[in-house]
Amino acid sequence: MGVMRIGHASLKVMDMDAAIKHYENVLGLKTTMKDKAGNVYLKCWDEWDKYSLILTPSDQAGLNHVAYKVEKDSDLDDLQKKIEAWGIKTAVLPEGTLPSTGRMLQFHLPSGHEMRLYAMKEYVGTEVGTTNPDPWPDGLKGSGVHWLDHLLLMCEMNPEAGINTVADNTRFMTEALNFFLTEQVVVGPGGTIQAATWMARTTTPHDIAFVGGAKSGLHHIAFFLDSWNDVLKSADVMAKNKTKIDVAPTRHGITRGETIYFFDPSGNRNETFAGLGYLAQRDRPVTTWTEDQLWNGIFYHTGEAVPSFTDVYT
Amino acid sequence: MSIFDTRPKFAIHVAQTDETFPCAGNESLLAGMVRLGRKGIPVGCVNGGCGVCKVRILEGQIKPLGPISRAHVTLDEEAKGYTLACRVAPQTSVQLEVAGKLEKPFSKGRAGSATVRPSIHQQ
Repeated sequence: MGVMRIGHASLKVMDMDAAIKHYENVLGLKTTMKDKAGNVYLKCWDEWDKYSLILTPSDQAGLNHVAYKVEKDSDLDDLQKKIEAWGIKTAVLPEGTLPSTGRMLQFHLPSGHEMRLYAMKEYVGTEVGTTNPDPWPDGLKGSGVHWLDHLLLMCEMNPEAGINTVADNTRFMTEALNFFLTEQVVVGPGGTIQAATWMARTTTPHDIAFVGGAKSGLHHIAFFLDSWNDVLKSADVMAKNKTKIDVAPTRHGITRGETIYFFDPSGNRNETFAGLGYLAQRDRPVTTWTEDQLWNGIFYHTGEAVPSFTDVYT
Repeated sequence: MSIFDTRPKFAIHVAQTDETFPCAGNESLLAGMVRLGRKGIPVGCVNGGCGVCKVRILEGQIKPLGPISRAHVTLDEEAKGYTLACRVAPQTSVQLEVAGKLEKPFSKGRAGSATVRPSIHQQ
């Protein structure tokens, strides 16, 4: 089957105590493990593998790597061949490179971001279990997010210099990893420049997204909530915790998500969102957003440009 | 000065535009700067990570509010007075230069709301 879904994101944080407090109290993740190097591993209540977020102590913010889980160990060998044939070098990191995690296939996207694939991570179960489960567990903190859902990578783009790593990444993800395109933003004369794309392996509108920027970086990591009311409550939690909200609750045209954007204490952008939009399928026609309607795609209600949303990232 | 904000303020002077804005000792220079009403002042993550609010402190005392990203302010730069406006609060009046992405919004003359006597602009 190949890639199943996003597995984890590894983030750099500048104040570990503040970061743990944020991801536990505002998002509602729980710490499952700490290693000798000072890295902290967390998971959401509805996830069954040991962790979906790694926080690493650093003197700056940003993404270390993002990892996707594949179905079978042999998928790693198959995908290694495909990735190398596409023209990207890979390395195999042995089991135990990350605790509770099997061997990982490591490579860099055309945009420069580090991506890893793995087949095995220690199973610990969701907080409601698998036999006659309740719909949600008691004792959830903060927003009580269900799972890490996707991330958005800012990708270097400079059309005048012929650089468009959004388009390069999109082609790579399609040809080597068998993702499919669900939505795209096209700009420039005749809409010939692919400036942003949303891609899936699951049946949700995006498991990863790429947006063009001056340099590559992390735009946000996103966590799933059940409903619009949970999004509102999540904003209440942020107000209580004095979390810096970037974009108050609204809806995206793109993916139809109901959303809030905010920053962790190191300035890494987070999203909590509800609404899986539509059933994403390989034969569903691709949705295209044009340059003149781009901001309706981003913030559907106002349609107004918020430059900090596209210019600010880590 | 708003009647809803009675905190004592320090005067913060921006070298490039000769503007002055008030800033309390328990708020960031960026929070005060936003009150200039100047279009395009980039308020990003306000947590020291994104680097859009870079300034250089020329004179005055500041107090750190949290860590700043070394991807945006190197140790060498910090020694020369550079920091991020979202992560420092004034303890005295301050003279600063805007830097990096903050330079652009300050490149178009003085902000109307911060100008006490518009005629000064003509001199």
